[in-house]
Amino acid sequence: MLQFWRILHGGIRNFLRNAWLSTAATAVMTVTLIIVIVSFISSLALTATIKGVTDKIDVSIFLNNNTTPDQVAAFEAALKSSGNVASLMYVSPDQAVANYKNQNKDKPSLIQALDTAGNVLPSSIEVKAIDPKHLDAIEAVVSQQANQSLLDPTAPPSYTGGRKETIDRIVHFANFFKTAGLAASIVFVVISTLIIFNTIRMAIFTRRDEIEIMKLVGATKWFIRGPFIFEAALYGIIAAIVAVTFSYLVLLSSAPKVASYIDFGSTISFFQSYPFVILGGELLLGIIIGAVSSILAMSRYLKL
Amino acid sequence: MILFDRVTKVYPNGQTALSGLNLHIEPKEFVTIVGSSGAGKSTLIKLLTREETHSSGKIIVGGLDYDTITAKDVPLVRRRIGVVFQDFKLLPNRRVGENVAFALEVSGARQREIKRAVPKMLTLVGLSAKQNMYPHELSGGERQRVAIARALIRQPKILIADEPTGNLDPGNAWQIIELLLKINRFGTTVLLTTHNKEIVNALKRRVITINRGRIIRDDEQGRYTLENPTTLKGATKGIATGVEAQN
Ligand SMILES: Nc1ncnc2c1ncn2[C@@H]1O[C@H](COP(=O)(O)OP(=O)(O)OP(=O)(O)O)[C@@H](O)[C@H]1O
Ligand SMILES: [Mg+2]
Repeated sequence: MLQFWRILHGGIRNFLRNAWLSTAATAVMTVTLIIVIVSFISSLALTATIKGVTDKIDVSIFLNNNTTPDQVAAFEAALKSSGNVASLMYVSPDQAVANYKNQNKDKPSLIQALDTAGNVLPSSIEVKAIDPKHLDAIEAVVSQQANQSLLDPTAPPSYTGGRKETIDRIVHFANFFKTAGLAASIVFVVISTLIIFNTIRMAIFTRRDEIEIMKLVGATKWFIRGPFIFEAALYGIIAAIVAVTFSYLVLLSSAPKVASYIDFGSTISFFQSYPFVILGGELLLGIIIGAVSSILAMSRYLKL
Repeated sequence: MILFDRVTKVYPNGQTALSGLNLHIEPKEFVTIVGSSGAGKSTLIKLLTREETHSSGKIIVGGLDYDTITAKDVPLVRRRIGVVFQDFKLLPNRRVGENVAFALEVSGARQREIKRAVPKMLTLVGLSAKQNMYPHELSGGERQRVAIARALIRQPKILIADEPTGNLDPGNAWQIIELLLKINRFGTTVLLTTHNKEIVNALKRRVITINRGRIIRDDEQGRYTLENPTTLKGATKGIATGVEAQN
């Protein structure tokens, strides 16, 4: 334990002694960890965004308000038999009104208009398709002669068809960004490993007299290596703290500005509910990068 | 205390530095090893400190057979022996006291013990006033005394000094030798190598003369028998080549 503190102390001493190199190494590590966080955050946010767009109802079939529950049940069974239905939901007229009022609660004029019209909205069956790109089978069921009488004549069924391409484009775009983020993270992890490897290599060279003396007075292998590992781990620790703080502040300040394009809400709440998971993850990553690169450097350049 | 039985050292480049060397040193002896440059003195010492491994023969120090040492044991072997070098080998960015303390830190001594032992040792070598100075602020002789303090702080049974006076002027050199004698009186076995004729002759202790990796003389109360004696000031390498001429 005492030796452990001496090793830590040696690591801090080394860190401070070549402050410039340490700062540079820490800066590269910080950039790396920020890129890792950003790509992690974007990946979370993009996943949420994708889920948001693809979860949308694919088909809404508006019904005549005098349709009986039996008829609805039969219609639902028919739709299911089309083979492309992931889920079905019956929305009663009251429910439809409630939903509408809820969606437009900040637009009192619309609510007023509905009130004036006597609060009548058609009931509907909301269909979520298994394959939203091929809705023909569902369409066929809806247009069957037997079912025509159930439909609300004033509101034709709505199909996503037209939206589909846009959704696909968003999904494609989001997946591309997720992959790019992962690739950038990997590239930067490799870059910072190389830079720390080099920093520690230089530290080994500049301190080779000291290392020789340590050996001669009987220092063990790990007493000599320890400070180098801790020095490199320290780059990771400082970098992780800076990176997490920085990303959190940027996320908080920029999320409202981009909220209409990307859904950061869930990401921010994730950040706020698990700040230590994120910090811990970054610390772990930083320490691993530092330790691995310094151990690699020592196995090449520090023969004990 | 130290036993060499037909020890041979061949360096990887094929250079034979010691060939079939036999040597026996009793506890509490003060032994000086002399020999021309390249005779194998430093090699002998590096075998003792395990900086080099012997090629054949047997080395036993303080009951420990060097054939049984694994890489993991090397630090422990070095902690049992105090070593002093011609070039001091002090850590330049640590103070005098820290340099001495370092040898104790390495072996896991408690801080309290270090605080107690270091000033005592610095007093012994006459440097108690310079505890907080850096090595570059000291004279050569003072630096060597710091190195001796560091070598002794773990109270080793054996102190090895490879040309400790090589970089010192006569006055400082004598101070170092007197310090070594004092340490020897306290009961530490001292093994000294030197090219300094005056010192060897004045010591009147056991002198072992090595040539080409073999012991050619071993005298109680020996004298410096190599020709081309070096002056006290110029105790440098490459001068004492007299053995060949003598033989
Ligand atoms: N690392 C090494 N590799 C190869 N040969 C070496 C090595 N170290 C020493 N030698 C050779 O071994 C022989 C003995 O060298 P050593 O250093 O023991 O001499 P020495 O007696 O200490 O000389 P000096 O008085 O100059 O210090 C020399 O011929 C030297 O060239
Ligand atoms: Mg030598």
